[in-house]
Amino acid sequence: MLWFGAVIDKLVLWWYARLFSFLIAVFLSFPKRQRMSHNNGIGGEGWLKITEEPEFPEHDFFEKGAVFPVRIRHASATFLDDAMNCIRSISIKFAHNRYKSPFDLEMNTGETSLFWSAASFMQFAKKRNEKWGVEYVEYNRHYPEGLEGAKKAVRRHATSFYNLHYYAKTPFLFMGKDKIKRYAKYRIIPLEDVKESGLEYNISDWDMSNQRVLPHEKRGRNFLKYEYEDRIKRHGASYRLQIQVRTASDDEDPEIFNNMVPWNEQIYPWMELATFHIDKVLDWKESTLSVFSLNNMPKSLGVLPAKSIFDYNSLNYMRKHSELARKARILSLKIFGMVPPIPDNDNRNYSEWGA
Amino acid sequence: MDEKTTEIYKACLKETEIKYGYGDGFFKPRLAGINHLEVGHSKIISNPVTILLEAIFSFYKNLRRRVQKLNALLFPRRHHIYAKVKDSYVTGRLMHLDRAEMNVPIHNAEVELWARTKFTFQWKKLGVTVSDNEGNFEIRYTLREARNFFIRSIQLEIYQPTDVKYNGDRPSTTYRVYHCEKINKSDLIGLGYSVNTIALPLWEYRTDIDLPRAYFPENLRFTPEVYVQGREDALIQQLIPIELTKQKHLFQIKKEPGMLTLEDIQKDYPENLTLAMEKKLPGYTRGDEWFGFRMMNGMNKASFMPDKDKKGIYHVKFFGAGDYEHNNEYAFPDTDIEFEIHKDKTPLPVAITFTGPLNALNKDPFQTRTFTRNDGEDWLAAKRLARVCGAVCAEVDEHYTGTHVNTEQFAIAAFRNFRKNPVTWILFPHLKEVSLINAGADKTIIGGYLPTATALTTKGLVNRCRDILGVHNWKGWQPMEVINETHTYAKAENLFWNLLGDFMDFFFEKYEKDIKTFWNEVYFFSEDLVNHSVPVFLSELHVEKMNASKKERYERLKEYTHFQFGYHPEHSAEIVHGKSVAMSSITKSKTFTRDEDFNNLKDACRYAIMMATFSHTWINEHQYDDLGEILYSCGGLRFGEKESGVIGPESDPHIAPDLTRSTQMLWFTNFLSRTEYGFITRNEENDIHPYFIELLLKHKDEFMELGVDIESIESRTNI
Ligand code: HEM
Ligand SMILES: [Fe+2]
Repeated sequence: MLWFGAVIDKLVLWWYARLFSFLIAVFLSFPKRQRMSHNNGIGGEGWLKITEEPEFPEHDFFEKGAVFPVRIRHASATFLDDAMNCIRSISIKFAHNRYKSPFDLEMNTGETSLFWSAASFMQFAKKRNEKWGVEYVEYNRHYPEGLEGAKKAVRRHATSFYNLHYYAKTPFLFMGKDKIKRYAKYRIIPLEDVKESGLEYNISDWDMSNQRVLPHEKRGRNFLKYEYEDRIKRHGASYRLQIQVRTASDDEDPEIFNNMVPWNEQIYPWMELATFHIDKVLDWKESTLSVFSLNNMPKSLGVLPAKSIFDYNSLNYMRKHSELARKARILSLKIFGMVPPIPDNDNRNYSEWGA
Repeated sequence: MDEKTTEIYKACLKETEIKYGYGDGFFKPRLAGINHLEVGHSKIISNPVTILLEAIFSFYKNLRRRVQKLNALLFPRRHHIYAKVKDSYVTGRLMHLDRAEMNVPIHNAEVELWARTKFTFQWKKLGVTVSDNEGNFEIRYTLREARNFFIRSIQLEIYQPTDVKYNGDRPSTTYRVYHCEKINKSDLIGLGYSVNTIALPLWEYRTDIDLPRAYFPENLRFTPEVYVQGREDALIQQLIPIELTKQKHLFQIKKEPGMLTLEDIQKDYPENLTLAMEKKLPGYTRGDEWFGFRMMNGMNKASFMPDKDKKGIYHVKFFGAGDYEHNNEYAFPDTDIEFEIHKDKTPLPVAITFTGPLNALNKDPFQTRTFTRNDGEDWLAAKRLARVCGAVCAEVDEHYTGTHVNTEQFAIAAFRNFRKNPVTWILFPHLKEVSLINAGADKTIIGGYLPTATALTTKGLVNRCRDILGVHNWKGWQPMEVINETHTYAKAENLFWNLLGDFMDFFFEKYEKDIKTFWNEVYFFSEDLVNHSVPVFLSELHVEKMNASKKERYERLKEYTHFQFGYHPEHSAEIVHGKSVAMSSITKSKTFTRDEDFNNLKDACRYAIMMATFSHTWINEHQYDDLGEILYSCGGLRFGEKESGVIGPESDPHIAPDLTRSTQMLWFTNFLSRTEYGFITRNEENDIHPYFIELLLKHKDEFMELGVDIESIESRTNI
């Protein structure tokens, strides 16, 4: 009977992931030529070097001193207005390509996330109900952890994409040279020791659901992307890619996979993985055509298996199985042409093209 | 009283103690329920079609009860939770839904998470918790259990204690679902799910009046409480014959008032104590001895204050309309009765002094007139007026304020705050239904009968009640001092108080541990009592701005009222919104810290129970004895137009109450005196501690000798 339940659980998860990526592909990516969330962004390219003195266990892919070409993309989710109260992101691939790469990562601001399993992600998607820059009213009302995660992740007053801290949040497999099973978490922070901008402190006071620009907002709709472009033209931008590693055990608590709970930094410190320097920005077209995917990872660093839609690892399972949505977007852009860049006009608080 | 008179008195008491044997026949007229009581025409159902419909409805009610029983049998609520790892939680906050604000948490409320299965409809308990002092709760449960394929629906239930039941001497609280919140199964996705603030209208205070009263919304679904069925049935049964009588009179008054006299009205109602006495001993009830006897041991149970100078002389005082809003129809002067009391003899009136108008001509509020035993006819009239003023004071100050409203302030505070603390078991049974009857009295008595039958208007009555409540405090209260051998009321009161004290000691010792464990409930109980308490008596007046006579009157008023209600101003130490309030605090700490507070709680409970039981029953039961003969005493004597005013003979119908007021008075005093439901010893609802009953019954004979049938003391103020 037990194995029967497990099979059913797995089938449901499989069905959830397929259904979700199908819905996104058919209703969003293809007809609207959109990403699910991070449409408002700017790409860049440069070079990455794995640290010379690794503190983490030896790994075939992260050979010390190895150098990789990198393409990144910074974005604001989910609105087409940089001055709105948005989550900011960085995606990175170890290649100067639109898609193909040996290693990709996607990261958002905030140490914890807004959802924690396939079931919760579905609920998150279902309860968005965006209108005029106000969203997730019901979700925020009912899910205290989700709300707290959102409050800690948004960076309304970010001054630059560069000076933010980005977390991949979910743990991944880390199978090193010693073949001991470990888990890894990743983050990217600026190389220089600069203060993170856009942090809010009295977060319990605001209405998280209202992400609209402030009434007397002076910053433009594209100010963050312009700032980044100028910064790269002037002197480029250097970042640190860091890693946390922990060893697997038979009696581990499932909570260690919960991306709402950071790993204790005293026990699992952030270690230097690599530094990289961006010296070139991509134009709107090239930025838009860039695609990042969890499928671009060596087997020894891939996604952890998930048993059910309630399993914390089901989050990455969903992402891994959302390739259809990515492909649909690129196909649609090929057929119907490039989407227009975001105008600088005063028509604020939008999350769709053409306004 | 000599032996022979005492014999006659006892016989008359027995004779006039009417018990109704009215059957619940099918096509007999029925009353539409307590909530339909009216001073004018209560709704009586006589149409056969309506009666048939009623019958169908009661059949349906029975059926529903059976279905509920079957339901419980087929779909039992099993309280065991099997899950080991509780990985998720449902959270929220419980608040009082005041009409104006949502700022008071509901603490210690039991919150449970239940699921029902598909196909078999079985109940499954997922988790349980209790709200904290801030009203927050967090029920831990197992996600996979809630999201199991076989689960059909999930609900969050909030429980509120409703009844207390004794199994032998083991008390238990019955909790009922007060609020149920459906939760979408698919909304449970692990970690937290918040139902946010659940605001419940739960024993809210009224905000339209400056008295600690319970708010009864128009919408009956949220009524804080309802009468138990037995209580309702009993009243309805007893009320029908007198209701029919009253309606007959009102009909006659409307059609042909000339054909009806006060005597006719009197004859239509059952004979009361004074009429029975008159038959056997003509003139006795108007005499001095009876006057003194009834003042001391009748409904009034007046307080005899020793004269400051003369030994053996006592004063009984009734304060009249004074500055309270009043009409100019009825006399209600200040009354000072001077009594002489000889060793072990009934008090005898020596002189009666009235301050205030006695006729319609001279309206000077400070005019005084004194009558003595030598005044012949006028002395009779003076005693009658004194009886009337005494009756109004007994009803308004002692009965309505001292027991009904006084008990209600404890009731609201208790029902709002006690859920787990063992004092629930001794308070709830004695505090239930009082708020309900008071809400009814607002309509029929305070806003209905009294303003038309006495000198005070509704506003005057409410203000007076607020003032008098300002001398009611649990702290330092003691029963009346026994003056002499004939003072049977005080003896009975002391006996009851002592037995109640014994019971309290027993109970508080037995449940000491849990009483201290759930001390936060005591804290919130005390806070509600104090924060909603009325200002100390007369503390809001600016006495220094008054003229000499007024100032002097207020000083007398204060002195006597403190004496009368056993009030010690030095105990009223709390200040609320800048005003010194009557109630003392029981504890200032949410956790148990001081032994003194434990005794405070015991004293406060003892006081509340005393008021709700013995103190209330006494006046209530004797209303028909002392207010059952129109010409003997009533709610107010009319000034009439003569110079003599209210100092006139009983034969003058112009100073007696009019026909309508008369039938209403007898209707009221009759049915109020005889609620045959809710007695301590009969324990109809099995909610009284057997030891309390045992204690009382052990002293049955002793009580009987003092004129108290201990089996007729009500367990609660509900009429
Ligand atoms: C904590 C978890 C997650 C993080 C940190 C994250 C981060 C990101 C980021 C940074 C991007 C923008 C990529 C770019 O710049 O082009 C992105 C896009 C996307 N994400 Fe996620 N994501 C998470 C969970 C998920 C999940 C559970 C799904 C479910 C299928 C999902 C589906 C997608 C899709 C479909 C895109 C658009 C890809 C495209 O059209 O190019 N993500 N995500
Ligand atoms: Fe009463």
